[in-house]
Amino acid sequence: MADFYPVDALHVSGVSVGYKDKIAISDVSFEAKSGEIIGFIGADGAGKSSLMQAIAGIVRFSGEISYLQHKYHSPKEAEKIKIHTGFMPQGIGLVLYDTLTVDEHLRFFADLRDLKKDAAFLAYKKQLLHMSGLSAFAERQAMNLSGGMMQKLSLICALLHRPKLLILDEPTTGVDPLSRLELWEILRNIAKEEGTIILVSTAYMQEASKMDRVMLFHNSKVIASGTSAELIDSIRPYVYEKSLADNDENSISFDKVIYSLDSLNLSLHEPTLEGLFFVNALKERKKIANFAIKSREDDEVIPEVVMECHGVSKKFGAFVANEKIDMQLKKGEILGLLGANGAGKTTFIKMLLGLYSIDEGKLTLLGQSIKSGKDRQELKSKIGYVSQHFALYKDMSVKENLLYFASMHRIEKKTALSRIALYAKELGFEEYLGSFANELPLGVNQRFSIAAALLHEPLVLFLDEPTSGVDTLARAQFWQILQKLKEVWGISILITTHYMSEAQFCDRVVLLKNGQKVADDTVSNLYERFPKAKDFEDIFLEFYKEKA
Amino acid sequence: MKSVFFTIVFKELKSFMRSAALVAVVLYSFTIDIYVAGEGIDIEPRNVAVGYVDNSSGGISKKILSNLHSPEFVAPVQFLSQKELSNAIYNKEIMVGLVFDNDFEKLYREKKNTQLNVLLDATSASQGFTTLMYLQSILFSFEDIQIPLDLKIHKLFNQNSDNKSFMALSELLSLITMLVVILTAIVFVKEKEDGTWDIMLLMPIDAKLTILAKTLSQVIIVMGGVILSLGFVIFNIFDTPMNGSFWSFIFLTFLYTFSSAGIGLFVAAIAKDVMQVAQFSIVIMIPLIFLSGAWTPIYTMYPFFQVLSFFSPLRYYIEGSESIFYRGTSFVDLYPYYFGVVILGFILYIIGFKKIGRLF
Repeated sequence: MADFYPVDALHVSGVSVGYKDKIAISDVSFEAKSGEIIGFIGADGAGKSSLMQAIAGIVRFSGEISYLQHKYHSPKEAEKIKIHTGFMPQGIGLVLYDTLTVDEHLRFFADLRDLKKDAAFLAYKKQLLHMSGLSAFAERQAMNLSGGMMQKLSLICALLHRPKLLILDEPTTGVDPLSRLELWEILRNIAKEEGTIILVSTAYMQEASKMDRVMLFHNSKVIASGTSAELIDSIRPYVYEKSLADNDENSISFDKVIYSLDSLNLSLHEPTLEGLFFVNALKERKKIANFAIKSREDDEVIPEVVMECHGVSKKFGAFVANEKIDMQLKKGEILGLLGANGAGKTTFIKMLLGLYSIDEGKLTLLGQSIKSGKDRQELKSKIGYVSQHFALYKDMSVKENLLYFASMHRIEKKTALSRIALYAKELGFEEYLGSFANELPLGVNQRFSIAAALLHEPLVLFLDEPTSGVDTLARAQFWQILQKLKEVWGISILITTHYMSEAQFCDRVVLLKNGQKVADDTVSNLYERFPKAKDFEDIFLEFYKEKA
Repeated sequence: MKSVFFTIVFKELKSFMRSAALVAVVLYSFTIDIYVAGEGIDIEPRNVAVGYVDNSSGGISKKILSNLHSPEFVAPVQFLSQKELSNAIYNKEIMVGLVFDNDFEKLYREKKNTQLNVLLDATSASQGFTTLMYLQSILFSFEDIQIPLDLKIHKLFNQNSDNKSFMALSELLSLITMLVVILTAIVFVKEKEDGTWDIMLLMPIDAKLTILAKTLSQVIIVMGGVILSLGFVIFNIFDTPMNGSFWSFIFLTFLYTFSSAGIGLFVAAIAKDVMQVAQFSIVIMIPLIFLSGAWTPIYTMYPFFQVLSFFSPLRYYIEGSESIFYRGTSFVDLYPYYFGVVILGFILYIIGFKKIGRLF
């Protein structure tokens, strides 16, 4: 049973990690007791991973960490505690070997840790397999596992030597909702039964309620920590119901909520954890820019149905990435394509764009039936695309990138320059025009990518995971831009995301699971169908359970 | 149409100039590498270590040994027994060993059949055998044989028998091949690595135009390197003669780089990352270079390989270039080489073009 001696507590005091001239995380202190689950929440680059790596003794840091009464200040000094720690790095299946089976993995990691394979070990191994639901798949090779199963396998591999301090870097990112629930179940059991300290980072706010304590990360700092309920309560006075009236200067309004530090003459709204990031921005006196999009220069007629497909399938060898998908994208609609990693979202978008051939099925784009590459050539100038991770030319500045794209679309230099200036102002990346693409913060990169996709004034936008890893504020701004684009330009947007909570910003959502479409409906209809659901996470969980 | 084409070309040139590593590799290859190849690879004897065992009374033997001097030979080292000498050759301390038997001088003075024993380390084959020829001619001149026949040698094309300029030029021609293949492949594969490949495909630009523009940009870079190399290394340091037309060499090089770029396109189509580009390029290029006659004359090859060498565009390029530099062949008479380069080049480029075009 869990014991509460301070002996096995983890003390972190004044830890900072820096790379060259960049500070990854500065001056963090906290303590964790045996059996506690501490959650790190924040965007990519906010410093979560760096702090985890410092505690795991993998990177150099300043400050002091002590665990099991052993103090350490460097990776070298941390060597002694490594037999008690388990670390799982970010990325699905990163520690796994494609061609090894589940059972071979467990034996391999046991050998690495030099564990005796006695009866007790075999019993524990069996227990782990059972707990993770992998007993039936012991002989399956890692490359044939789903993302959720891979993460569960990585987790039990890290648990084999019964670590007392478990450090997990985004184990649930991109994993389907059901597997995420199961992963959390395992973590809770481990914390309770083994008295393990678990540090876990996540990109999903909804998971905060499952943690004993939450630390919110923003721009290399911890901006708040406490239980999920405490944190939400702390901003209760600043969150108001949105009204039609103009809001004042010192407030941020997003979705149905207004955040303000001054007291407003409005009724209060139930706060969320995400609200903390907005309130923090207000406290830092940062403004969330209001984007204005001017109407487009040409007046192309957009057909009522922008994209329509019937029975579209794609196979990679024996693996079915998309199976008989029907979908329709109407004029002026934001359609959210949701699903876990590996559900087939990217494959589907790539088929629509012609980056993958369509194995089977019919596709009509902007009123034109697509049969060969030639049919697409003409349409290319009417489609805007933002790829995963915002791929742009790294050795060119933002402005050079945009000019290059413009000239690829045969836009006159004068027009191109004026449009670039306009978007830079509207989307707020003016100050970054001269920077190279790989020096930009992710949120800026995201807005600049969308500007690149908009330069030729497309009729439809395909966005592949444009919000992944981007911080709450930038994501809010991004959704505002999409809304404005829809209103002012009347264009259609197909967007993929693995954040189920973002479904609420879409007009209609399609849920993909293992390459199949399991839901296709408007947001309000879905809420009607599942009246008990608190949020979209719950709704999609229902779909996953239903068809499991 | 034109403006898009040149935008791509300029963009690639700019990217190249901003990549310090690539610029350094290209500059190094076209200057230092060629200099080292010209200076370092030497098949004439230089500083050959000679050892000897002298069991004779030492008159004639001393006279013979005095002919072995620098720069071809280092001062001969004396050993007390043949066994010691053999050991020294075994340990690579000595390349050529001379053993004067105790009746050597007696037989010589009596004008009988005299024998000088030579131990030769045949692992340094070409140097060893050339040394042997030196030795023979030393002995001949020593003997002062009177035969009513004399050789009058007229050295054509390379009057100074200068090996260095030859090696440097061979290196340059092989290097052009390597660099064009690798650079062209990298331009495409970098897009795959950085994830910009999809974006490139979605531009409303004809794939042919993109491929052609990207290849041209790399051809321009290599042509720049060639001119640099000619000016600084080939003409300036090695003083290589240019008996033919400079421009016909440049034109031949231009055609040739395009044909090699075709191989680059092929590599780009099958490679996933820059690492694989390096691996595939070497696997494809090495046989092409060996079969070209760059390092061994084609007429000494096994007949089967002689036939194969007809399919190496580098063969025509090397023969053509050497004709221009040394023989001063006029433009009109160069047509076999131009044909070889153009026809093979066209085939290679089309194969590469088709192969990568399928990815578009």
